[in-house]
Amino acid sequence: MKRINGLLGAVALAAGLTALTGCVETAGTVVTTDHTTGSTVVLEDSTRLRGQVQVMKVNYDEVNGLKRVHITLASTRHRRLRLHYRIIWFDANGMELDPDTKTYRTLILEGRDAVTVTGVANSTAGVTSKLRVRDLEAAD
Amino acid sequence: MNKNWIGMAGVAAAAVMMTGCATTPTVREVALDRAPITSKLEPQDVRRTVEKMAESLLSAPGVREAVGNTRPVLDVEPLKNRTTQHVDMVSITDSLRMQLLRSGLFRFVDKSTSGTDIEFMDSQANLGLTDQRKAIKPGQQSAAQMYLTGALTEIKNQVGRTVDQYYKFSMILKDLRSGELVWADEQEIRKESVKPRVGF
Repeated sequence: MKRINGLLGAVALAAGLTALTGCVETAGTVVTTDHTTGSTVVLEDSTRLRGQVQVMKVNYDEVNGLKRVHITLASTRHRRLRLHYRIIWFDANGMELDPDTKTYRTLILEGRDAVTVTGVANSTAGVTSKLRVRDLEAAD
Repeated sequence: MNKNWIGMAGVAAAAVMMTGCATTPTVREVALDRAPITSKLEPQDVRRTVEKMAESLLSAPGVREAVGNTRPVLDVEPLKNRTTQHVDMVSITDSLRMQLLRSGLFRFVDKSTSGTDIEFMDSQANLGLTDQRKAIKPGQQSAAQMYLTGALTEIKNQVGRTVDQYYKFSMILKDLRSGELVWADEQEIRKESVKPRVGF
């Protein structure tokens, strides 16, 4: 009987571990900048990512009539971090511009290093930018 | 009692194994920016390249200087594929043209569809179906003032089970009248794949 209980325990543990492999956290850090008012909101939805990456600085300007944003991200870890980031744009009514054309890019951040990522609105209608950073494991 | 448990465990194990016997593959939609699955050029690499090139071109100071307050006519030539892979270069330039078109900075002509233009004009002039006062006559189309072109190159190295693949997209924007390069940029992609020790 003891052997069967042990076997059942092992099966339950294996099933639990199998189920957990699908539990990758896809939430991340979001930096929203309104280029008309200059306000910036940082939302850190992932506890894990918050402990790895900090948003140090947000700057914005205009180039050739298009809004541009520069966001400095710093690693708080000593090891290399592999992240994904994407900068999307919204018009004055809050509608997302060309959502399918803005892609996640890979960011390799060395230990305790800081990197500035830049995004340009590809339309003069873009007035609000949103940076989303996620763990590389969050990709499908 | 023990026999019952063993029997149930056997049935459960058989049921789990049978789930692998389905004949139809499992299909699901995935995000456009999925994780890399090979060291070859993948759709997400192309999407990132197009986005980077469009942003770089639109924000380059030299482009604003060359464009001024006009909207110059631009043609996009397909990139040259200097790799050993088959890559649809026309699709890449189509995506780039679409992104640049949305900026409103340029007007576009498309040399690749000129043959179709001639067919239309020819049929309007000769088939007798079109009102000749409304028929489009040849010789009125806009001329490209600038063109965008480039190339894709690769370097591949293999050491043991590790394959190191490097790609470089290079693009230029050239002013046809002056012959000057108005903008140039490149995007580099490097991937590594390690083959398993045992595999079929």
